[in-house]
Amino acid sequence: MGTQHVVTMLPGEGTGPEICEAVRMVIDASGVDIKWEYEEIGLDCLEKHGTLLPDKTIQTIARNKIALKGPTTTPIGTGHKSANVTLRKVFDLYANVRPAKLIPVLKRPWDKIDILNFRENTEDCYAAIEHMVSDEVAQCLKVITWPGSYRIAEFAFKWARANGRKKIYCVHKANIMKMTDGLFLDAFREVAKKYPEFETGDIIVDNCCMQLVRNPAQFDCLVLPNLYGDILTDLCAGLVGGLGFAPGANMGDNCAIFEAVHGSAPKYAGMKKVNPSAVLVSGIMMLRWLHETAAADRIEKAMFAVLDERKHVTYDVGGTATTDEYAQAIVDKMQAKA
Amino acid sequence: MPTLTEIAKATKKKREIKLVGIDMYLITEKGIPKFDEIGPFKCEFISNRGTKVWPGFVSPDLLMVNWYRCRFMATKDVQDADVNTFLDALTKKGWWWSAAQKLWTYDGEAGFSKAY
Repeated sequence: MGTQHVVTMLPGEGTGPEICEAVRMVIDASGVDIKWEYEEIGLDCLEKHGTLLPDKTIQTIARNKIALKGPTTTPIGTGHKSANVTLRKVFDLYANVRPAKLIPVLKRPWDKIDILNFRENTEDCYAAIEHMVSDEVAQCLKVITWPGSYRIAEFAFKWARANGRKKIYCVHKANIMKMTDGLFLDAFREVAKKYPEFETGDIIVDNCCMQLVRNPAQFDCLVLPNLYGDILTDLCAGLVGGLGFAPGANMGDNCAIFEAVHGSAPKYAGMKKVNPSAVLVSGIMMLRWLHETAAADRIEKAMFAVLDERKHVTYDVGGTATTDEYAQAIVDKMQAKA
Repeated sequence: MPTLTEIAKATKKKREIKLVGIDMYLITEKGIPKFDEIGPFKCEFISNRGTKVWPGFVSPDLLMVNWYRCRFMATKDVQDADVNTFLDALTKKGWWWSAAQKLWTYDGEAGFSKAY
């Protein structure tokens, strides 16, 4: 047994708690030593404590500096703020890392997709500065800053270098939004000068969408402002099999929160039928971040094997297994190979 | 036959508009601003890049730029002339501001977002 890691578990709401329990079971069975500290977040919290993100949760995350999070719910149009965005803002988790890689057993029409998306996570139209500036005009301020743009570019290049990547492109709409997206692109170009070993370039966001759908294999790493990143990372997830298998990490200089990017599916809460794979692959990503590569590889291999057999998979991939049965099958597969 | 533009304009509902505050956008290199009440306006929160930096917890890691949104809410019924007086007072105190946005309610509903 190696180092013990202390990880904050944020089960979230809806199907989040049952998903997170299944994921915990798998991770604990992988041989890694993790002490889990559970904290609350989300809508249930708002009803109980009057806030989406209680101080106790903030303090625990601040102490452990790492968390695994289940899904939370955000109402559309009205109501409370997003718990996810609040978390990102409070801990300044400026880099949203969203890998999109083909899972071998999920049949897709492409031979190769292996894209690393780096989405700026704190600025852009997500600065929460909106006004009804007259009774018939609403306005949202798009905030792009030089230091905010510079650090996400720097983060992307560092990560790409550490992971042996070759090509990084900046996605923007600087032909129209010349100041905001222009600043983002300028910062990217400035940072790129420090990494001459990379092939770098830029692509206009609408063209990028078309190219992703036509020929996703041409892309390696993408750096995106918040709004385009939000949209394109889901597009990339769709290319490789949907949000049900899409991992995500929100990272700052001193804190990292790993999470599934899908919703909390409240209508399925308690039914134990949803696929926990997205939180599980986020957990695998977390283990790699913790340098627990062997455990991460074990889980991933077992998960692929279970998916390949299709005997114990959930309804969304054509099976009838419950969340727990799918997780148990992964555990059994790991133990059989141990 | 009315045009679509005319039809769209005709759907507009009349709403009662009331001035309730001001969002001030300040530029300063001296860190998070502090304010006493200025006339009938009291500072409710300050945000930087959309993240609330006063009052409450601020991550020591938080990236802040030299541009702050300071939300001042009216402590009594106010008119546009009160905003002019407020802006004069703020300028005289040495604050350099880039923009001011009046905050209105529409039929009692806030026409402005909260900070994270």
